[in-house]
Amino acid sequence: MASDGAAVFAPTGGARRFRANLLVVLAVVALLLALIPLIAVFGYVFVNGIRSLLSLDFLTQDPPADLSATGGGVRNALVGTLEMTGLASVIAVPIGLGVAIFAIEVGGGLARAARFLIDVLSGLPSIVVGIFVYATVVVTQGHFSGFAGSLALAIVMLPVVTVSAEEILRLTPRPIAEGARALGLARWRAILSVFVPIGLSGIVTGVLLGVSRAIGETAPLIFTSLGNNFFTLDLNQPMQALPLLIYRNALNSAYASARDRAFGAALLLILIVFGFNLVGRWLTARRRLAGSRR
Amino acid sequence: MTESARAPEQRGALDLAGLRRRRWTGDLAFRAILSALTVAITVVLGLMMIESFISASPVYQKFGIIGFVTGSEWAPSFTIYGAWPFIYGTLVTSFLGLLIAVPISVLIALLLTDLAPARLRGPLGIAVDLLAAVPSVVYGLWGLLVLVPAMRPLEQGIAGTLGRVVPFFGPPTPGSSYFAAGVILAIMIVPIVSAVTREVFASTPRIQREAVLALGGTRWDVARTVTLPIGRAGLLAAVVLGLGRAIGETIAVTLVIGNSDNIGKSIFSPGFTLASVIANEFNEATETLHPEALIALGTVLLVVSVIVNAVAIGIRNRFTGGSRSGF
Repeated sequence: MASDGAAVFAPTGGARRFRANLLVVLAVVALLLALIPLIAVFGYVFVNGIRSLLSLDFLTQDPPADLSATGGGVRNALVGTLEMTGLASVIAVPIGLGVAIFAIEVGGGLARAARFLIDVLSGLPSIVVGIFVYATVVVTQGHFSGFAGSLALAIVMLPVVTVSAEEILRLTPRPIAEGARALGLARWRAILSVFVPIGLSGIVTGVLLGVSRAIGETAPLIFTSLGNNFFTLDLNQPMQALPLLIYRNALNSAYASARDRAFGAALLLILIVFGFNLVGRWLTARRRLAGSRR
Repeated sequence: MTESARAPEQRGALDLAGLRRRRWTGDLAFRAILSALTVAITVVLGLMMIESFISASPVYQKFGIIGFVTGSEWAPSFTIYGAWPFIYGTLVTSFLGLLIAVPISVLIALLLTDLAPARLRGPLGIAVDLLAAVPSVVYGLWGLLVLVPAMRPLEQGIAGTLGRVVPFFGPPTPGSSYFAAGVILAIMIVPIVSAVTREVFASTPRIQREAVLALGGTRWDVARTVTLPIGRAGLLAAVVLGLGRAIGETIAVTLVIGNSDNIGKSIFSPGFTLASVIANEFNEATETLHPEALIALGTVLLVVSVIVNAVAIGIRNRFTGGSRSGF
């Protein structure tokens, strides 16, 4: 019997087993090839960045006017990143959630058009988003600004938030949806006080993944917030961000001080991004676990 | 809820008409708000796209769309703008990135669906996904300071042997090059390609895979007879999505491609991609029409990536029957 079965697949037993094992070996090699850069990048950035990051000055001081000078920190960039990403979330989350609910509850041509646009947006290079905001907001205002940067980041976040919210809301268990209707709840009450709370951890995951994507973006900020060597909280001014600071210092990496600053900021940025990312994933995993126990 | 709103229920007689009316007004308002929001975002995004094309229009008027796209010279100081050197750079680097990334991604996807012990699949998957979370600028920084110098011997080796016969692989090898950009792109698109491929492979019928094993087939047989043939269309979607990502990747490429406005004859020459030339030249664009020309490059990038992504979404929808997540 065994030999009959084998004949379906391949001529001889030894060669088959060899090929199966070869496949496993190749796959493991591929995984290593993919993971080596991850370990190399993180390791290299960690080793070169940890010394900067461990000093308090790095977080509480602004960089020197001349990139080649030593000392100073990245306070302006850290604050700028947090402020712009925060505003971007405030813009993108309600809109993303609204469009997702609209697509599910109302549907029709308008929903399809909006969803098509969001799909297009999710595949759009972020630098193109930067150009959009430049051509409209920056040109109209006549100057670069943190607000324009926030807007660009919001557009980058929007598809992540919308797609994940829509997926989660579609998964609302049917009995619960029907129960809400049977209780006589208006649709808007059912959505806001039943569907959204049930999918909340999933929606939060989408938001966190969106934030972790927006926080690492450099390209759209080049045309919008531009960067600023000085500390500012004013969204009407050009504003520095961690990725921009890393980029500018990397371009001047012939100077040891610029290199050190870039690595310190890169480590800080990676830790922030991984933090958001892992918390988001943890929430998803917890939900799956809870779901399987139910 | 206010006292008056609860009053009818407390009296025991439901004010059904009133309830229905309130519900109806609430739903109507809710719907109106959502519609307004959706219309607004659609209009705003549409306007932004149109405004970008309008900003670029002087360049298109001067050189013509075909003339701009196929023009092989980019000389801002002479007000000559042709996009071809950057389209060429985008094609070469994206193709090289896919060439390296696709086989690796397919093998990883197979490993994480069929081959690896179930206990390891979760953590390994997360590790691969984290690759996608590393910001582009960090890859660029690492690529510039570590990857480019480390690859120099390999480049010299290829240029010294194969490069003697084929000019495309010829010297000189300054380090920053199309080749370096392709390698960094490969690292960056492996997570997206392998994630989509994994989803596709995981959705192939389990029962068929188990049937092959039950008939005495090996895991190679499972991959060859079930996973790969059934997952082929989805695999194509993953590749196209990876292409879209590679085309638009900006900062990491800018830092390792060497920044040259001319078409490099060899894969080891410095050059530019569409995205990287925009990022690199935008803040110093003071010549006549230079900013407009860079925005025009952006519109080329916009059109190309919309086409690429529409193709990917089309393939995926056909494969998953319209469901976005593959469920």
